[in-house]
Amino acid sequence: MTTRDKMLNALLTSTMNRRRLLANAGIAGGSIATMGAFGTAVAQSMDSTPMAMEEVPFASPVDVLNYALTLEHLEAAFYRDGLASIGAAGITGLGFQQSVFDSLSDIGAHEMAHVETLTQVITQLGGEPVAEAMYDFGYTDAAGFLQVAQALEDTGVSAYQGAAQYLIDEDELLTAALTIHGVEARHAAYLGLLNATSPFPEAVNPTLTPAEVLDIATPFIVQ
Amino acid sequence: MTARHQMFLNTVHEINTSGSGVAMTRLTAQMDFADDIDVLNYALTLEHLEAAFYELASSYELGEDPFGNSINDYVAMIGQHETAHVDTLTQVITDLGGEPVARAEYDFGVTDSQSFLMTAATLEGVGVAAYDGAGAAIQNPDLLTAAGSIVAVEARHAAYLNVVIGMSPFPSAVETPMSKTEVLDAAGPFIVSQ
Repeated sequence: MTTRDKMLNALLTSTMNRRRLLANAGIAGGSIATMGAFGTAVAQSMDSTPMAMEEVPFASPVDVLNYALTLEHLEAAFYRDGLASIGAAGITGLGFQQSVFDSLSDIGAHEMAHVETLTQVITQLGGEPVAEAMYDFGYTDAAGFLQVAQALEDTGVSAYQGAAQYLIDEDELLTAALTIHGVEARHAAYLGLLNATSPFPEAVNPTLTPAEVLDIATPFIVQ
Repeated sequence: MTARHQMFLNTVHEINTSGSGVAMTRLTAQMDFADDIDVLNYALTLEHLEAAFYELASSYELGEDPFGNSINDYVAMIGQHETAHVDTLTQVITDLGGEPVARAEYDFGVTDSQSFLMTAATLEGVGVAAYDGAGAAIQNPDLLTAAGSIVAVEARHAAYLNVVIGMSPFPSAVETPMSKTEVLDAAGPFIVSQ
């Protein structure tokens, strides 16, 4: 089994297995992760040394935005191509109303809007926006599409959460990123419902570091 | 629907359609809060409100959502999340040497299952907008990440409740942040005494 197949298997699973995936990536339960973050914050507030910056994975705000754009490209292509090939009939064939297909199309439009906004902002900042790549999402039917969709959205939410701190000195960019983050969380909740899992499995949402996210996303990127 | 409930919905609607949104919020977020503890207490004020609100849920028979789930079951889970947020924020504010705001007394003007669900959906939407508006004021990166992990759950709640009341779970490609003043104006009518 190739690495990519292993990743697909990991992603094409239930919430319980998805949690295991996150656990394998070094993420404990959401509550523990957040309490850990709070605990660290508390410890640092009592320490006079400045915030340690040795592990900053981004050289600039443009790098953070390109990281987000990489994920948005992936999502936008996923919905654009997937919904075109599955069609409304694929979704209603699972027993859903036509309105579910329409909502999935709305999600696709949001991802495309995020791509356009991030591309524009990166360009305005003098950066070079990353381009769309070629992807292989590995699903073979509409049910598989919905499971990959949920995994992508959950990863997206956790990715924005993990990256937000690197925009802490860029108030406008941070606020803009937060307003995208919330919408990704809404998408994730809806896909949870479609996959008959809880739309909000935990009191706090797990956070993923950029390295963890790239480990999850890279297998989808063919070129 | 009571007058108080209507006033709340009207205020939120005005804010969400007035376009005061992102630019003003960005400019004022830093000025609205003295420090991180102040931001956390603002969040706690809203979490107290939400946690108290969901205590009303068991009084109503809320039926099934469009996917066949018990709304009461999911709303009970949302209530547990809000209580967990209250507990966590209270603990962190205390650990940071701050004084956590106490729970107030509220009157949500809920009269039936429909007004309960409408108010729930609106409260969650305001919660997301409030966290998004205040995020830029947070100075400590770890607190920012922690706040992010809470607001994502509020957004998940908001999406679900919109589904339940027959609205789009994600009405826009981006959230609309609200300033502290806008949020407190919206929430004020529910708070009958501090």
